[in-house]
Amino acid sequence: MAGLPGVTPGSPGPAVCEWSAPLNIKYFATFRDLTGETACVLENPPATVGELLEVLSARYGTPFRRAAFEGEDLSPFLVLLVNGRNVRHTGGRTTPLREQDEVCVFPMVAGG
Amino acid sequence: MYGWTGTTLRIDLTKGIATREATNMTLAHEYIGARGLGGRILTDEVDHNVDALSPANKLIFAPGPFTGTFAPSAGRFNVITKSPLNGTIAASNSGGTFGAELKYAGYDMVIIEGKSPKPVYLWIKNDQVELRDASGLWGLNAHDATDAVRELTDEDAKVACIGPAGEHLALMGCIMNEMHRAAGRTGVGAVMGSKNLKAFAVVGTGSVTVADPVAFKAAVMKARGKIQAHPVGGAGLKAYGTNVLVNILNETGALPTRNFQDGYFPTADKTGGESLAAKQLVRPKGCFSCIISCGRVTKVDNPEYAGIGEGPEYETAWGFGADCGIDDLDAITKANFLCNEYGMDTIACASTIACAMELFERGYLTLADTDGIDLRWGDAHAMVEMVRKCGEGEGFGKRLAEGSYRLADSVGHPELSMTVKKQEMPAYDPRGVQGIGLNYATNNRGGCHVRGYTIAVEVLGNGMSMDPHVTEGKAGLGIAFQNLTAALDSSGACLFSTFGIGGDELAEMLTALTGVSYTVEEFVKIGERIWNNERMWNLDNGYTSADDTLPQRLLDEPILTGPSKGEVNHLGEMLPEYYSLRGWDEDGVPTEATLESLSL
Repeated sequence: MAGLPGVTPGSPGPAVCEWSAPLNIKYFATFRDLTGETACVLENPPATVGELLEVLSARYGTPFRRAAFEGEDLSPFLVLLVNGRNVRHTGGRTTPLREQDEVCVFPMVAGG
Repeated sequence: MYGWTGTTLRIDLTKGIATREATNMTLAHEYIGARGLGGRILTDEVDHNVDALSPANKLIFAPGPFTGTFAPSAGRFNVITKSPLNGTIAASNSGGTFGAELKYAGYDMVIIEGKSPKPVYLWIKNDQVELRDASGLWGLNAHDATDAVRELTDEDAKVACIGPAGEHLALMGCIMNEMHRAAGRTGVGAVMGSKNLKAFAVVGTGSVTVADPVAFKAAVMKARGKIQAHPVGGAGLKAYGTNVLVNILNETGALPTRNFQDGYFPTADKTGGESLAAKQLVRPKGCFSCIISCGRVTKVDNPEYAGIGEGPEYETAWGFGADCGIDDLDAITKANFLCNEYGMDTIACASTIACAMELFERGYLTLADTDGIDLRWGDAHAMVEMVRKCGEGEGFGKRLAEGSYRLADSVGHPELSMTVKKQEMPAYDPRGVQGIGLNYATNNRGGCHVRGYTIAVEVLGNGMSMDPHVTEGKAGLGIAFQNLTAALDSSGACLFSTFGIGGDELAEMLTALTGVSYTVEEFVKIGERIWNNERMWNLDNGYTSADDTLPQRLLDEPILTGPSKGEVNHLGEMLPEYYSLRGWDEDGVPTEATLESLSL
């Protein structure tokens, strides 16, 4: 995946990190159906989880947005890991993204 | 009588007689049914010192009040006995349709005593009870035995039976019902085998009487609606099964790998629910009255492992997968099929093979021990062959069939057995998820996840979310889960219904069903009573606080790679608070005040 879809020239767009390394994103379960992908690489990724999900919602459309957000908040049925840590414990949508981070996107799943 | 049938059936295999008696309704109200009531009956009637494989042990089949009703996922029953694996109360919980049929035949419990002088099967059709010769069935696998018993009794009979593993008293022997569902843990199949009881077939044409049908229907529809509206109960489990957990546990860094040497398996995705859905899934399947359908009917086309059956569940895919360093889903599913046919607990079998692989890799087992099989990490062929040997009780398989503790201990390395109280731990690494470690350590039947599934909060974020890496709050969390689950297991409902409903809905439905008023607080209190009853049995059996621990590896050896790299479990930070909140003294013994408050 190249560039930031949904961001037109001149629009404010999401803040972009200073670092240039791409961000690796992995999708699981229903997010594979929503995105049609198992993973993607985002060049020039944004600075926070919330902004990342906005970018991805722009790329994948309304079904993705519905799965990712509930109003302005993260959906309670979204499990988003950054380097294995659930962002609910690291700042939610304000969780910062850093160079070489790995993001995993899950719907709420269960079993046992 | 509402919810309960009011009748208990007692089978004396030694004398070959059956007697009916009234269910002890005082105890039924205090312990609900299934795990709780059966456990209390066991503690009242069986001396804790008995040899679990002797005629003095009893084997209790017990559905709960919900079982057989249209309450959501109300198809559960328990098999309760003294465990031959570790001496604890083995209340092994199963779904399917057997439990509902037993209820329709009119029984709250069937208590099986003594030992038959020759192989028999039990055939119940309502009031008609027969013990029939099973000489011709002995040696059949669980699938063939089920077919044969149906042919001999009724084509619609629900059949619970043992396979060859239970016959040769494998301590991982389970009781299969409807071919693919298992009362899987703690060796209940070996107890059935020790009694020369091959199978138990039942047809019931009765029903469950409801105290307040209008209120019950309203409560059930509300509960069903909540489960169906929940993304997990309504769609997620049906689409991917429980095996969807492989990836989230792996990406959290808590997927035990190569006998818990690591917590991350790079190719785990090949073994997960998504891959299974793409490659092997024929259709999802539910148990009696289930609206979730987490079961998997699967088919393997690969000629090496070809077959059709059910599974694997998450624990199984993990055990024969990451824990053995294997990412061949076809081999994993084949191993699951074999376990179902032989009648073996997949968690125990897989974890024991993983333990054997580590013992072999370290040189503590040699080719002379393993019947010439090179038992290396990642060798799928060797793994499947070990499952077969274990099921047959053939050669090295005899040693495997006793479980990983006895195997590792036999070569002087019990520390390499990933067990608690000699029972193999399931698929969540306590170094990556602190609270589940406390649950394993304190679980009354040893390494067990379903009786305190803190993963729901620590990893899955169901209802609430707690950081898996912290210890604060985990004692209270674990107790809450343990108590609620003990009551739920006793009601006949499925644990997975709690991915959508909680104690409030369960108490409301139970009240409407039975006519006995249960508040949510009383419901959970019953769970606490059950937990303490099980604890007291363990203490009587010689267990102490020293047994409330984890394998030393999990306390000392950090996870090597992945998101939880460097982590160990901090059990010592949680256990004292757990004892305190439980109302136990510092040695883990319930105080007099605690026992009195629970009417124990």
